Amino acid sequence: MPDWKEEVRKRLSGLKLAPAHEAEIVEELAQHLEDLYERAVSGGATEAEAKRAALQELRDAGLLRREMQRVEKPRAEAPVAGAPPSKSGRTNLVSDLLHDLRYAARMQRKNLGFTIIAIIALALGIGANTAIFSVVNTVLLRPLPYKDPERLVIVWENDPIHGLPQETPAVANFVDWRQQNQVFEDIAAITDESFNLTGAGDPERLEGRRVSANLFPLLGIDPQLGRVFSANEDQPGSERVVLLSHGLWQRRFGGDPGIVGKSVTLNGESYTVVGVMPARFQFPTSDDQIWVPMAFTAEQLSNRDAHYLQVVARLKPGVTLAQAQTEMSTISTRLEQQYPETNAGLGAAVTTLHEQLAGDMKPALLILLGAVGLVLLIACANVANLLLARAAVRQKEIAVRVALGARRLRLIRQFLTESVLLAILGGVVGLAIAYGGLILLKSFIPENISQAREITIDLQVLGFTLFVSIATGLIFGLAPAIQAMRFNQIDTLKEGGRDAATGGSGKRLRSLLVVAEVAISLVLLIGAGLLINSFLRLRNVDPGFRTDNLLTMKVVLPEPKYTDFDRRSAFYTDVIERVQSLPGVRSAAVTTNLPLYQQGNTHSIRIEERPEPPPGQAPVVATRVISPGYFGTMNIPLLSGRNFTEQDSTTARNGVAVISETMARRYWPNEDPVGKRIAFGFIPVRSDADWIQVIGVVKDVRQFELAAESRPQMYLTYRQYDLFAPRDLVVKTDVEPASLAAVVRNAVWEIDKDQPVSDIQTMDQILAESIARQQFSMLLMVIFAAVAMILAGVGIYGVMSYSVAQRTHEIGIRLALGAQTGAVLKLALGYGMKLVIVGIGIGLIAAFALTRVMTTLLFGVTATDPATFTLISLLLIGVAALASYIPARRATKVDPIIALRYE
Amino acid sequence: MPYKLSQMLDRELKKGSAELLILSLVEDQPRHGYDIGNLIEQRSKGRLRFNVASLYPLLYRLEKRGWIQGRWVEKAGQRRRRYYRLTAEGKKVLAAQRHSWREFVEAINRITGIEHA
Repeated sequence: MPDWKEEVRKRLSGLKLAPAHEAEIVEELAQHLEDLYERAVSGGATEAEAKRAALQELRDAGLLRREMQRVEKPRAEAPVAGAPPSKSGRTNLVSDLLHDLRYAARMQRKNLGFTIIAIIALALGIGANTAIFSVVNTVLLRPLPYKDPERLVIVWENDPIHGLPQETPAVANFVDWRQQNQVFEDIAAITDESFNLTGAGDPERLEGRRVSANLFPLLGIDPQLGRVFSANEDQPGSERVVLLSHGLWQRRFGGDPGIVGKSVTLNGESYTVVGVMPARFQFPTSDDQIWVPMAFTAEQLSNRDAHYLQVVARLKPGVTLAQAQTEMSTISTRLEQQYPETNAGLGAAVTTLHEQLAGDMKPALLILLGAVGLVLLIACANVANLLLARAAVRQKEIAVRVALGARRLRLIRQFLTESVLLAILGGVVGLAIAYGGLILLKSFIPENISQAREITIDLQVLGFTLFVSIATGLIFGLAPAIQAMRFNQIDTLKEGGRDAATGGSGKRLRSLLVVAEVAISLVLLIGAGLLINSFLRLRNVDPGFRTDNLLTMKVVLPEPKYTDFDRRSAFYTDVIERVQSLPGVRSAAVTTNLPLYQQGNTHSIRIEERPEPPPGQAPVVATRVISPGYFGTMNIPLLSGRNFTEQDSTTARNGVAVISETMARRYWPNEDPVGKRIAFGFIPVRSDADWIQVIGVVKDVRQFELAAESRPQMYLTYRQYDLFAPRDLVVKTDVEPASLAAVVRNAVWEIDKDQPVSDIQTMDQILAESIARQQFSMLLMVIFAAVAMILAGVGIYGVMSYSVAQRTHEIGIRLALGAQTGAVLKLALGYGMKLVIVGIGIGLIAAFALTRVMTTLLFGVTATDPATFTLISLLLIGVAALASYIPARRATKVDPIIALRYE
Repeated sequence: MPYKLSQMLDRELKKGSAELLILSLVEDQPRHGYDIGNLIEQRSKGRLRFNVASLYPLLYRLEKRGWIQGRWVEKAGQRRRRYYRLTAEGKKVLAAQRHSWREFVEAINRITGIEHA
């Protein structure tokens, strides 16, 4: 009998029909011809005649082709098996992609449960990445909002002898730098200053800056209204002009468009408003509300002792940071030789403004970014595992498609389309998570990170999320895609054929993924554990005083009004007395700087009967001017000697000082410092009265932050020294301290109704703020590690469930043959725990290598803290054991009869 | 009929009427292509014949339009065959085509006076 199919196929060639489609047509037509043939033969025709008669039907080969062409045009939808690529590659690519997408969407809908789990896992990973990246993007990547920001630098004095690599420069040094340097286009100085704004409304204390007149042109910032300072306005006598922040202008002056030219009263003196800065302007931080010109007096211009300026400069085009550093070092060396008494050992340090602003956060942010990257990897591993399990289920489908002529590459593409679609869906949900997360995150971001408010999901972040989503889809999609291609087509097509993924390479790949998940989550958990450990240790650091029931507020006396020492003393005495008489108040005191505040004065001292130290190497101590009740109010214990009394006043023969135990230990290591005498380094001792007598030693307090060791410190009483006026009022209460805020403030206003009171906080709040940064890093790390652990747990659970389900038959036989449930449990658990132990082993090695990068974030623990490593490993083993136990237990509940029927 | 209708139909009318023929044949029961071809030949007493090259493309076209639907059916002891059945839409089309065919024939008859006037 002739091969009818071949005859038909010949005539269809050139139509480029999809193979499956063509096969059907060939079959149908060939059958028709065969029927005709058989009828002819049974009717008595010879075979040759019958064949001729049948082929007569196709005599016009062109007709069939033409007719089929008309039917097939417009082209039929490409069948599922996938059409081989045609010559018009481009349109085919697009239509293939569309088809793949439609198919992928259909698959996702069909497996809704799987899809939802995968999307949640991916969304967590991608969302966390997006949130952290948007912080990194803002703080580390986005250019600062100034003109050519990459050329802006901060110039410091470098004082290695006193351990101050970034010391604020003295005025005379700044002036010399300005005159002698060849590398800066411009250089400007800034100081912090608070201003008391009085006049209409409540008196208010404003944070502001005194600045060189050239600061704003240097930054390349124009005012929103009016003008910035003119070149001659930073000269003495012409500095009574002020620039307002946009916020202050809106809030206090109702956005008055005619504000320029009006007068405001600052520190009791009249200033003319010359302009308003734009809303987004901040330099260097966003607290500033006003700027006034900085005019140096002749005395200031020659002062190399008082270090209090911040210096910003713009590099000349083409000048590198290294060139600027070299130049400044040269100038500093020259100044050292010229002024050995003040400048010996004093260098200069140039850093970029960006590094200066972002530097502190950089290690923490990069580590967090690394951490979320790992979380995403775990999510990928999880989804890949899910896909692998599903690929096993889909093997028949794939085999059919391959049999129908689909090319493997085409199928891999189909798989990848599915996984990328999944990842992009995850990315969309992840964006929502990131958006919500950022709102939460922002409330935890320490305020002293200058760009914190600017953190948003912008185009860069969206691009990042898209990139991460697609990359994620490719990563977790590739393994199952390749896996799915590696199977024996014939076996799979056979009814009841075993999944390739059950044994051999599929199982191996899934086991590998579990090991990876365990290892990665162990690294994250150890990282989080180290940060928790650090944070707890930090929390437990004794600040040297009791923080509870303390209310603090700033009461800064305006200089012009309170120039007179007696008037100032009287004011403080009045305030302390009046506040102490309030119900609920146990005691009150004033000080120049509260502990745990990142600021305060330090002075060099000389010690009586000791040789003059070499220039620049005099002892330096932190100085605080307090009221006698301060130690009692703060609960700072007196270790020896006595506290200040009312008798320690200006009428006493000598000034007196109470020193900290660190100062005592450092400068009088084997002696009793009480009774010894010291003097300020910058005041020449002309008479015996210039000496200050040490009368007592108190316990150390952490002046700057909990993590920083206490520096030598001395306390003076405000009744003797007018060097600095106290600024902080601190009140010990019997009741909840915050509840007394208004009462205490009113008590101050009863003494002076124009006296601003600001920054009302409890000491506990100050303490919390001082460790906000560490808390922030720790909190995020803990969240990420928790997510990682949950994902890993789910991953282990999934693989174990699958493995138990696959082995139901085997377990059934074992049980039927009399195996004890304990043995079965051990069998099922053993497989899971083996993977976990391998994962933990690898994770420990990785953690050992990786946690070193965290060293700067740690406090009181080493990066390889054995206790943390052990505890966290046990925790993860516990979680993993639970995740394996649940499916393993299910194995023991297998009914042998049912299990044997299973298949 | 005094002339050979098949020749004319082959050229002109066949185009318009072939659809109607096929739809009519699968109205009562699903039929495969060979069956359809045979029936046309038998019932027209050999005057109408579709060869394979034109019958199947026509079937496919009707199927594509959604008027008929083909399905592979296996019966005991036979090779599988593709049976075509009339779809709901096909039923409507068939009714409409019958109606217009009747009108067409009536009009022709009236003009040519074939009907006994």
